[in-house]
Amino acid sequence: MQTVSLAFRNLFRNTRRTVLTVMLIGFSLTALIAFDGIMRGMITLMVENITGTLTGEAQIHLAGYRENLDVDLYIDNANEIEEQLQQDASLQAYAPRVITGAMISSSYNVSAGLVYGVDAELEQGVSQVRDAVVSGEYLSGEDNELLIGISLAELLEVELGDRIVLTLSEVDNGELAQALFRVSGIIEFGLRELDESFTFINIAAARQVLGMTKQQTHEIALSFITPLNMANPNNALLDELNSGEIEALNWLDLNPDISLILELSRYSSLLIGAILFLLASLGVINSMFMSIYERIYEFGVIKAIGTRPEDIRKLILFEAFFIALISCAMGIALGIAIGAYTSTNGISFGGEIEFSGIALNNAILSEFHLIQFTQFPLYVVLLTVIAAIYPARFAGRIIPSDALHRSL
Amino acid sequence: MSAVISTTDVCRFFGDEDETLVKAVDHVSIEIERGEFTAIVGPSGSGKTTLLHLIGGLDNPTSGSVHLSGTNIAAMTGTALSDFRRDHIGFIFQAYNLIPVFSAEENIEYIMLLQGVDAAERKQRVAEMLQQVGLEGLADRRPNKLSGGQQQRVAIARAMVSHPEIILADEPTANLDSKTGISLLDLMKELNERHNMTFVFSTHDEKIMNRASRLIHMQDGKIELDEKK
Repeated sequence: MQTVSLAFRNLFRNTRRTVLTVMLIGFSLTALIAFDGIMRGMITLMVENITGTLTGEAQIHLAGYRENLDVDLYIDNANEIEEQLQQDASLQAYAPRVITGAMISSSYNVSAGLVYGVDAELEQGVSQVRDAVVSGEYLSGEDNELLIGISLAELLEVELGDRIVLTLSEVDNGELAQALFRVSGIIEFGLRELDESFTFINIAAARQVLGMTKQQTHEIALSFITPLNMANPNNALLDELNSGEIEALNWLDLNPDISLILELSRYSSLLIGAILFLLASLGVINSMFMSIYERIYEFGVIKAIGTRPEDIRKLILFEAFFIALISCAMGIALGIAIGAYTSTNGISFGGEIEFSGIALNNAILSEFHLIQFTQFPLYVVLLTVIAAIYPARFAGRIIPSDALHRSL
Repeated sequence: MSAVISTTDVCRFFGDEDETLVKAVDHVSIEIERGEFTAIVGPSGSGKTTLLHLIGGLDNPTSGSVHLSGTNIAAMTGTALSDFRRDHIGFIFQAYNLIPVFSAEENIEYIMLLQGVDAAERKQRVAEMLQQVGLEGLADRRPNKLSGGQQQRVAIARAMVSHPEIILADEPTANLDSKTGISLLDLMKELNERHNMTFVFSTHDEKIMNRASRLIHMQDGKIELDEKK
């Protein structure tokens, strides 16, 4: 008990050094809490943008379709699958899509692109196509409506009401077909790929041009009541739907590259934490050694009068422990303050940016998580005490006659 | 009378076997009996402090043996040596003796905490020692609120409170004015006589050494003269 009391009081012998050490460790913890909160917020934003823009949280295709978007690989009995989807309680929305590559022509220019035939009503439940309309109107169900990406519209030099001709291959027989549409809306997702080459028409018109029946579709996009996030990306419905012919995949499996980026993002906190605390540990070791050298005569005296080496080691470790506790209190308080601000006001990019094919068009809202205020401080205490082991061993080995040499 | 302290051909050399070799203590054999009030005297560098450190188990001899109450402490190391010092020897150094963040009372109590003495006895013994060294009323003061002489009195109290057989004091008056130094020595002498404890202290101050009942004169690591009064 005396060792604990002595250790605590020793913190106030050189207040400036103690404060500096506490600030070093405390700010490291604050930085880690803030960084982790921002990373969690960024991952959430990225996942929301991946699943919310167009992909949905999961998709159903005929096996093999995704490899090269072959129009002939369509689901023939989509109505049966849709009936199954309608009965599933975990599902929030689904939207069938017909997708084909096409030659997109205006009176002035021509470009290759992708044509999505979508159900105007159902599509709103799984994607942001409606929200992406920057001028004109969203699809209303009329046959010749077409939404066009803003960059593609600029390339084709078309405006609202202008004519667009789609030239494409019919399913099964490969015959060329053409259809005339009028630009009813211009869309902007903030993603170069989508804005430069995507057009959206009503699914009925798309089926008609491609020679498909009402039961045939290329893709069904899904969204769930409980979102499929990083921690919980699977749903029993997908397992049920998966069969030899039908492929039902969550957004992580649909985007393996993005999945890897998100996985790496999760470990970035660990990496940053390791670097921060390596530096902080060196600071602790330096501070403890300065403190020991300053008191070396005193250690000589207390060893001379019978203090055991292990008691001196304990003294140094308790000093480090108390420094860590004070640092954690400071780090957590600042972490909460910064987290509260960034979780409310967010961190803005000053506009829309695209990162690894993901549009980040909203401010990142920092996320609080229990781990930031339990495990992180625990690591701080452990690492600080571990960092103090070396100085503690040194202090325990002090030879009284050497330490008292000044008295010669 | 039995020898409480006995050194036999004890040597403490520093440096290598060439011209850098320093013979701080060179084949010293002494016997000090219980209750003696002994001063080790000599000029700076004569080996007084090194001999005190060897007697107190603060340093290991290069050769020879040091027996305290029949135990050869030259063969002891680590925790055993720490415990032996705690239970058998009281130390007073010339300055900075005390733990600065502890009060006078806590400094005196510290060694009894190491010994595991119960709280009630600790309190009683601290009060007794404060009274014996004339510091009643200053128990709560930290060292920086005490004069040099008062700090040395606390150091004496701390050295004696655990009832050791031997008190070793390394130039205890070196940082005090002559009047305070003599007063401190008189206190040590009084306690020596009252408790029959063995006191060994080093000094090069003639006024101080005159208080000793035995003077061991050292020069170049050797005993030049051993005189009893």
